[in-house]
Amino acid sequence: MASPEERVDALRAQGTDHQNHLIDELRFGKIGRREFIRAAAIAGMALPAAGFIAGCSTKRDSVTRPDAPQRGTPRPGGSFRVGLLVPAGALDPVLVGDQSGLGVIGLSGDYLIWSDRTLTPRPRLAQSWSHNGDGSVWTFKIREGVRFHDGTPMDAEDVAATFNRLADPDNGSNALSALSGVLTKDSAKALDPTTVRFTLEAPNGNFPFLTSSDNYNAIILPKNYDGNWDKTFIGTGPWTLGHYRPDEGISLRANKNYWDPARQPLADNVEVIFYTNEQGMVLAFQGGQVDFVQQFSVSGGRAALTDSDVITTELRSAAHRQIHMRTDQKPLNDKRVRQAIALLVNRKVLVDGLLATKADFGNDSPFAPVFSSTAPGVAQRDQDVRQAKQLLAAAGVADGFSIQLDTWQGFEMPALAQVLQQELRAANIHLNLSITDSASYYGEAVFGNSRWLDSTMGITEYGHRGVPNVLLGAPLESKGTWNAAHFKNKTYDALVKDYVAAIDLDRQRAAAKKLQDLLLDEVPILFTYFYYYLSGTKKNVGGVDLTAMGCIDVTRGGFV
Amino acid sequence: MRRFIVNRVLLSVITLVILSIIIFLGAQILPGNVGRKILGPLADQKSVDALNAKLGTNRSLIVQYWDWISGVFRGHLGNSAVQQRPVSAILGHAIVNSAKLALLAFIIVVPLAVLGGVYAALKEGTVRDRLISLGGLSATAIPDFVWAVVLIVIFPIGLGVFKPVATAPPGSNFFEQIYYLLLPAICLVFVLFGYIARMARAGTLEALDADYTRTAILKGLSQRVMVRRHVLRNALLPTIAVVATQLGYLMGGLVVIEVIFTYNGLGKALFEAAQKSDLPVLESGVLIVGIVYLAATLIADILYSVLNPRVRVGSAS
Repeated sequence: MASPEERVDALRAQGTDHQNHLIDELRFGKIGRREFIRAAAIAGMALPAAGFIAGCSTKRDSVTRPDAPQRGTPRPGGSFRVGLLVPAGALDPVLVGDQSGLGVIGLSGDYLIWSDRTLTPRPRLAQSWSHNGDGSVWTFKIREGVRFHDGTPMDAEDVAATFNRLADPDNGSNALSALSGVLTKDSAKALDPTTVRFTLEAPNGNFPFLTSSDNYNAIILPKNYDGNWDKTFIGTGPWTLGHYRPDEGISLRANKNYWDPARQPLADNVEVIFYTNEQGMVLAFQGGQVDFVQQFSVSGGRAALTDSDVITTELRSAAHRQIHMRTDQKPLNDKRVRQAIALLVNRKVLVDGLLATKADFGNDSPFAPVFSSTAPGVAQRDQDVRQAKQLLAAAGVADGFSIQLDTWQGFEMPALAQVLQQELRAANIHLNLSITDSASYYGEAVFGNSRWLDSTMGITEYGHRGVPNVLLGAPLESKGTWNAAHFKNKTYDALVKDYVAAIDLDRQRAAAKKLQDLLLDEVPILFTYFYYYLSGTKKNVGGVDLTAMGCIDVTRGGFV
Repeated sequence: MRRFIVNRVLLSVITLVILSIIIFLGAQILPGNVGRKILGPLADQKSVDALNAKLGTNRSLIVQYWDWISGVFRGHLGNSAVQQRPVSAILGHAIVNSAKLALLAFIIVVPLAVLGGVYAALKEGTVRDRLISLGGLSATAIPDFVWAVVLIVIFPIGLGVFKPVATAPPGSNFFEQIYYLLLPAICLVFVLFGYIARMARAGTLEALDADYTRTAILKGLSQRVMVRRHVLRNALLPTIAVVATQLGYLMGGLVVIEVIFTYNGLGKALFEAAQKSDLPVLESGVLIVGIVYLAATLIADILYSVLNPRVRVGSAS
């Protein structure tokens, strides 16, 4: 019998240069086991092989995560009740942009790849994927024998049509912001019934994530899909439509012909119940009306956090609040002033007070601890009032100044604004708070017609992403459409291009280090914390899987 | 009497036309647009524009208003911009739900509050009078959302009785539906009891002090007969007006109660339509609430005139 070393060598012989490079990184302790599995999966290595190689290593991961504490083995049968907020609009995978909507479409639809709770891409409708060496062309092998709920076979043409539809600006696609600059409306081509080739606009080392559940609009739909999804809930997923009652809920039935033997639905039915607000949902959950709630926040669900009948799942995530500072307006156009503001903030107070410790500290860049590409060794910025005052004096504003801070009445953001107001007073900086509703804050969401994009300083909520690419682009690039800080820096733009094109983790981390250092110095945006994704199950429930993106998998969920 | 009713109906129609214009213009100042609300703030502007064009929400205001109001006159309320289904289906369902809750609350609170008010008046100045008056006033002073949360925490979460949501599962029978509706109905009883009881008490006191009551007492009628024949008939006049105006509130104004109890009534439908800039639903919904208000006050006026002939005579002359 071959020794583990010999088997690893055998796998190396079959691997690409990129995959072998990752094996070397693991062997020399540059990356941990989980990071290796994740990076190897992105590079197209089969997960069992990656898992075996990782098992041969003793290198621990730099990031550990709170585990989901659901207990016991669920029994088959019964009806499983899921609580979600009311979706923002008509349910259509092309349009969906809210967490409830994505939760629903993911129950009856499948993605090419499932980006799991550890951000490891796992094959679903795609069996494998590979790239041409520089990451500009990606080829996906599509699983055979999969059928849509109406019995139609699913093939590569459906996959290509799905992505071309999402990349077409005429369709009102919600994925356009993620696919812009990556795919055009005819980038995906079916080479044969089981092969799809994506030709990208530029090399992209993290492209598999854009085809995964992280890009929640990307469930695979039939090539002739023409809207009206909520009449059929057509997809290839484990649950089929029973009855849909808009604003009230959905009854879903187990798909007896589901293709994945490992994910055959355990329950007979899933009852999705919609709630208008978080408070009502949490009260109903505590009152036993649902067995599982997709997500609750610390600010809206404190009662659930302390309820002994509730098991809270905590997932580290990249979700955060951005506090932007206009880099083109006095006095914030002087980076010493921005640095001073960053130094006045006590991040521990924010994490402990506002988020009941359910968050990681931010270090003023989108590189959250949850990302494996986040470079280690960048010093964490801490509160330093003395240094802040020195910087303000050097910038000629030793006596302080007044400035307006805009945000909207949602989540913990008003409280965050008040804490900032309090802390900045230490250096005579007076924040005048302007807190509106979300519609007034975002306005038309274009420059010149949006408090978000036009305000001198503001707080904006950003959800979780599997990779930081979108967060590095739109809010911070010179031509970024969400660049509320009006930050224009050519060095930064070039570094982002390097990062996005980097195929291996080593190069990604090298580019990330430069980006983190640059953003820590320039501080166009304060990233003070990355809060955990919190989800609740009743004590008698187990087997529910979910991701910080809001995707839920209840195929193995049930009562213990 | 007929002339009185015809006059009131004509006035109501004019009021509704003015209301429709106010609703439409008011709805225009809501921030954001439908495409942006559906796709979210971070969606690409090209996608938002394409969706608005698809939904028809990028047309001129006059065209949109004409589309809506001409549809209303033809009995067709159009489609929801956000949900892409007929407004009549959304609002029809919501009206039925609101009517169920309003009816249950009325069945409990009106007799309870009238009896309480009359009893308090008959026992004026006693501890029982103060208990009813102050207790009712205190209950009314506490906001409905506070009652809602307190009741949910005590009953479904604490004691495991009643339901924290008001929507019964599909296929539930009549009694199950009542069971689900009890908690929000009790909230409404707390909110409305003090107000209605106070009006009933005041009306009773006034009637008890009237000459005809004194005459009835001097005639030797028993208190029960005197109250039933002479006091109640006159005492309930202001109470009827109050109850009628509460009907409009119950049909369209229970936003907080409906949201907390996850009940798809008219108030919640209007709240969500305003949040999402879903103008077809918002405009038609407010118009319906206006019709309910006008119909309720019309019925109250008719009842008032039946009970008090001076109103008929006054309006006829």
